[in-house]
Amino acid sequence: MTMGSFEVSGLSKQFGTGPPVLKDVSFRYEGSGAIGYLGPNGAGKTTTLKLLVGLLRPSQGHAFLNGVEATANRKHALWDVGAVIETPEPYPTLNVLEALDVVGRARGLTHDEIDREVDRCHSLLDLPPLGQRIGWLSKGQRQRVSLAASLMGDPPVLLLDEPTSGLDPAERVLVRRMLNGLKRDHLILMSSHQMFEVAEVCDQVIFLHRGQVLLQDRVDRVAERIRSRQVDVEFERPVPVTAMSRLGELAAEVVAVSERRWRILFDGTDSTRVQLLRICQELGPVSQFANSSLLLEEAYLELIPKVPEDS
Amino acid sequence: MMVDAINTESTTSPDSLVARGVSRHRTSDFEHWRIVTAHQLGHYLRTNRFYGLLGFVSLVSALTLASEINAGVTAVQVQQLFKSSEYLSNFLVYTGLWVVLAAAFFGGDALSVDFSTGAGYYMLVLPIRRPVLLAGRYAAASLVTLAIVGTSYAFATAGAIYFFGAPSIPWNLLAGSLGLAVMFSLAALSVAFCVSAFIRTPAAGVLITVLALYVGFTTLQSVVELAGIEPWFSLTYAGGAMAAILDTDFVHIQTIPLGEDQYYTIWVATVLEGLEIMAAYVAVFLPLSAYLYQRKESTG
Repeated sequence: MTMGSFEVSGLSKQFGTGPPVLKDVSFRYEGSGAIGYLGPNGAGKTTTLKLLVGLLRPSQGHAFLNGVEATANRKHALWDVGAVIETPEPYPTLNVLEALDVVGRARGLTHDEIDREVDRCHSLLDLPPLGQRIGWLSKGQRQRVSLAASLMGDPPVLLLDEPTSGLDPAERVLVRRMLNGLKRDHLILMSSHQMFEVAEVCDQVIFLHRGQVLLQDRVDRVAERIRSRQVDVEFERPVPVTAMSRLGELAAEVVAVSERRWRILFDGTDSTRVQLLRICQELGPVSQFANSSLLLEEAYLELIPKVPEDS
Repeated sequence: MMVDAINTESTTSPDSLVARGVSRHRTSDFEHWRIVTAHQLGHYLRTNRFYGLLGFVSLVSALTLASEINAGVTAVQVQQLFKSSEYLSNFLVYTGLWVVLAAAFFGGDALSVDFSTGAGYYMLVLPIRRPVLLAGRYAAASLVTLAIVGTSYAFATAGAIYFFGAPSIPWNLLAGSLGLAVMFSLAALSVAFCVSAFIRTPAAGVLITVLALYVGFTTLQSVVELAGIEPWFSLTYAGGAMAAILDTDFVHIQTIPLGEDQYYTIWVATVLEGLEIMAAYVAVFLPLSAYLYQRKESTG
């Protein structure tokens, strides 16, 4: 399979005279793997994906798929790309097979190859009956058909906007498992609100806020960055709040997780960590003193408020 | 700029994920056009609007024919001046309306559907050029419009054979009229596609197409005729050629006295004039639709 790539360079988008939705965003990925594209509603995630596939035109900058700009040559740029953006709706009058058939034929598959691809997608996504009309499908079933359409012809680049949106928990597990397999030889850009999903599937993450990239790094490094500034301490017996106030000079914040368990935020230096441990041992027998098991979500929440309102 | 090469060494996915032996061939624009046409046609042929309009045209045509049969052969022959061509011309008087309705139903939302529903997120992310997508949808809309118009012509021909006999039918003129109906359909659909490329809401596109083609043009035509000007710019004026070609007593300009020194002039498009106007509409509105469609963004 050919290696895919996508790139945005100095990408900005503004609708009319409104504020910019995307401001000078740049990133480039090639090869295989999964990149999580995270941000709150209105951050510009879907706008970026639309700019990549040419559904929108950039106000400034460029967006490339496999080295080609979709606005300049849509056919060439989208040839090796599967995309699920917003809520795709095949014509409700068509059945599942017909909806997938048109995608397969548009991507240059023969009749037999389409049959094989539909079988593959069926096994991956547990598609609804192929003869069933799209208009009669549930939201989750339609989403799985859209995901199957993006996989038809096995394009090396997949752009997925909230791919598990509208799916039930079992279907989400199915899709996450599929993406974890596909990322080995596909390049996937996946926007999501589900942090645990991104943490489970993605190797890299891009945090977007108010149209700007806040952070772009490996998922494990992002978590580690936050983790190093937070420790969880567990005492063998309950410690009163007043006693814990002794940590105030060293800690930025002390939060009670339970009667015996506390989370301490500090400057991340080793000397402070040692001092914190010493004080905790004075307060009572310590059964555990370790970096807290933070999720990506906490990194995300910590990053977002750091951007001033007027930026 | 940050550049990340995540994993540039190819690894192997689990067997079920690998699309083994998938070899894709570069699809030409012509192939894409055929694919889109078939896809769109498959959709149209299952819509309520297609069967509703086909049923309505069939019902009106059948009732017209039934009432004529009920009146009797002699009555019809006298009324139609013993000429099958006049009979056909009269029967097909509503063809323009059928074309306008079909153009509105199948063209009025043909492009706006991509920007007001999720249909665009399914089709516009495929490696198909937008003008090719438009051309495929235009071809499909033309075919279903012709199915509607063809039904009206079939009833008219059946009536002409019943009342006047097959040998009396001017087949060449009937074919010419059908050819003009085809051209009129293409022109009306070009306008409808342009409206659809411009308007965002599908229902508004359908309504505006009907109002523009049927009410707007007809009203404008009447106004300029009152001012003594030939409505050469009007598509509905050009559409008059569909019936006029069958009219053996065809008059291009007819002046009706209204009173002292006051006249009302009516123009009927000649075949050539009608063809020229219709072709001009296609030549202007279809490329304009393609341009607007190409530029349109999915902002929803």
